[in-house]
Amino acid sequence: MTINALHQGGSYKVQMPCLSKMERVIVGMQDPDMGVKMRNQRLLITVIPHAMTGSDIVEWLIQKFSISEEESLHLGNLIVKHGYIYPLKDPQCLVLRADDSPYRFQTPYFWMSTKWPAAELDYAIYLAKKNIRKQGDLIEHEKDYYNQLHKKINHTWDFVVMQAREQLRAAKQRRKGDRIVIECQEQAYWLVNRPPPGVLNVMEQGPERGNCYTTRVQMTKNMDFYKREIEYCKKAMGRTRVKSSICLEAYLKFNDQYMPHDPIMSGCLPSNPWITDDTDYWSMNAPTVTTPTKLRVERWAFNFGELLGDPLGHIQFMEFLKKEFSAENLSFWEACEDLRYGEQSKIAESVDSVYQQFLAPGATRWVNIDSKTMEKTLEGIRRPHRYVMDDAQMHIYMLMKKDSYPRFLKSDMYKTLLAEAVIPPETKKRVFPFMRKQRHSSPSPALLLPSEQDPKGEDKNKALASAAGGGEG
Amino acid sequence: MAKEECKALLDALNRVTACYRHMVLSVGGTADSQNLREELKQTRQKAHDLAVANRNKLTAALKDKNVSKEDKAEFERLWVIFSTCLEILETDMKRALELGLEFPLNVPKKHLIQTGMSGGTAGVAARAMSVQNMKYEAERNIDEVDLKDLEQEIHKVGEMMYEMEMKVNVPQWTVEAKQDPGAELKSTTSAGASSGGFVSIEERKGFCDISKLLAAIVFSAVLILAVILAVCVVKLS
Repeated sequence: MTINALHQGGSYKVQMPCLSKMERVIVGMQDPDMGVKMRNQRLLITVIPHAMTGSDIVEWLIQKFSISEEESLHLGNLIVKHGYIYPLKDPQCLVLRADDSPYRFQTPYFWMSTKWPAAELDYAIYLAKKNIRKQGDLIEHEKDYYNQLHKKINHTWDFVVMQAREQLRAAKQRRKGDRIVIECQEQAYWLVNRPPPGVLNVMEQGPERGNCYTTRVQMTKNMDFYKREIEYCKKAMGRTRVKSSICLEAYLKFNDQYMPHDPIMSGCLPSNPWITDDTDYWSMNAPTVTTPTKLRVERWAFNFGELLGDPLGHIQFMEFLKKEFSAENLSFWEACEDLRYGEQSKIAESVDSVYQQFLAPGATRWVNIDSKTMEKTLEGIRRPHRYVMDDAQMHIYMLMKKDSYPRFLKSDMYKTLLAEAVIPPETKKRVFPFMRKQRHSSPSPALLLPSEQDPKGEDKNKALASAAGGGEG
Repeated sequence: MAKEECKALLDALNRVTACYRHMVLSVGGTADSQNLREELKQTRQKAHDLAVANRNKLTAALKDKNVSKEDKAEFERLWVIFSTCLEILETDMKRALELGLEFPLNVPKKHLIQTGMSGGTAGVAARAMSVQNMKYEAERNIDEVDLKDLEQEIHKVGEMMYEMEMKVNVPQWTVEAKQDPGAELKSTTSAGASSGGFVSIEERKGFCDISKLLAAIVFSAVLILAVILAVCVVKLS
């Protein structure tokens, strides 16, 4: 005899685990011996039992769970915000105050539930009842809701009115005190489920929490649960870890090395183009430029990747290798990169050409690879794909890095490059304001076409530029 | 003719649904008791009977080819009201089952929630059953025994609703409400203004009733005494 059987048609909704836990706390509070101390609430002549003060609740939580007062206040606040306990003095403000302000428990029918979310129809009935009771004097946002619902569920609006009237008549059959309690309960329920604008909606679940797997908390811990936990912990232990002292050291080193090169941290010479409108910085650091800046050349000494990554550095390194008669290494590496990032249709062709040029015995630009890697690569060439040359490429890369690269850094070529590198002068700040360069918005990048175009294209470019300029202006 | 009958039946079902919901509110609280569970059972059965009667009448009326256009529209409106009523009834029954399972009455360790309700729901149940006083005939552990019946009845209602949807073709969105927003305020019958304000007005009214009665009695007693005295004086002097 379970409720699950009843959910055949609709989706299986589970009560959120935090709500189940709160319910258990509430039930624990009801114990006549160990529970919260109850008082009576006096309203003129009616006496309504089962009221508690905020301080009693906080004290009970401290004793039951052995927690600090701050935590107990926070927990109590959560319980009040979710509507399990509601305040009697100031019902609009769902906050737990640790003084003698009165509170009361909410009836289980009105407990917050994800299994039984508050329905529009019920809210419409509540608003209609309130309308009757208060003779049309609803709060602003309630009026809006009311009109909205009238449009939304217009087809059952007659039922709403009928049911509202009947519910009020049914309530009349009860005792005075009970009627007041029921009204307070309903009001508290709707304050939590349809909060006024600006108040936090506790039932709002972000998109990531919709996963039913995470909401299915296991309350009864059986064998399966513990088995799964053990497996999870085993896998977690097997993960590779780096000591934080080591990785933080590396991090510090990296930052120390690169800080002078960072234009935001250390400023950039000649000047920041975004501020002074002077584009010298970009033109001096263009990919291909005759005299590189000093900072750039210094950066080539940091690691091999920097050198190869910079187009100018790459060219210089190639020049150096040609002098040393080991340029085929770099060419091989470049060819492998082309293969890796090239077109799918050209792969077989590429692999073949690389083999013919660099790997075949007696090839013109034969590269020196150890026998094991060579065997593996030759094996792979039979079924060529993008990554067949990976092992060989890595071998050659390491060779260059360990052998040629240090020699490059010690070579005269590099030293002359460093000596000839230019430090751009800082833009002079003109003394007289009217002599300073006027700031104006840069022309559209569409007009500034790159200058590496062949002369045949230049006329076309010029024509395009003028047309675009004409269109712009 | 058929329209009036249908309306009356629907009103009755509406009344019973409202009372049932009112009673389910108290389950699990301090107003909960074996009596309440029995009241729930009886109300539920009455609701079921009314629902079946409603369904039969309305399906007969909707199937009748000789009704005029306005009558048909009216019956469709009543049908929509009826199906909504059944939905609410089904939800309340499901919740009653769940709450009944969570709060069994005869287990001493499980305490009921102290909600502040002290009175009983006998009046509400009497209103639902349209009787003067409720008779309680069930055994001590009706709260457990009843749950099985409740589960079966929920299935029955579910099936009935499914059948209704399949067999009767009334598109809900074509029905327009007769009442405008705020229509409930126009009713000056008993549901109206009397329960304005929470505490003070109601209390004073109740208070006044009793005191008025007392005052009237005292006044009339004094009057009668004065008349007797006057007569005696006249007679003796």
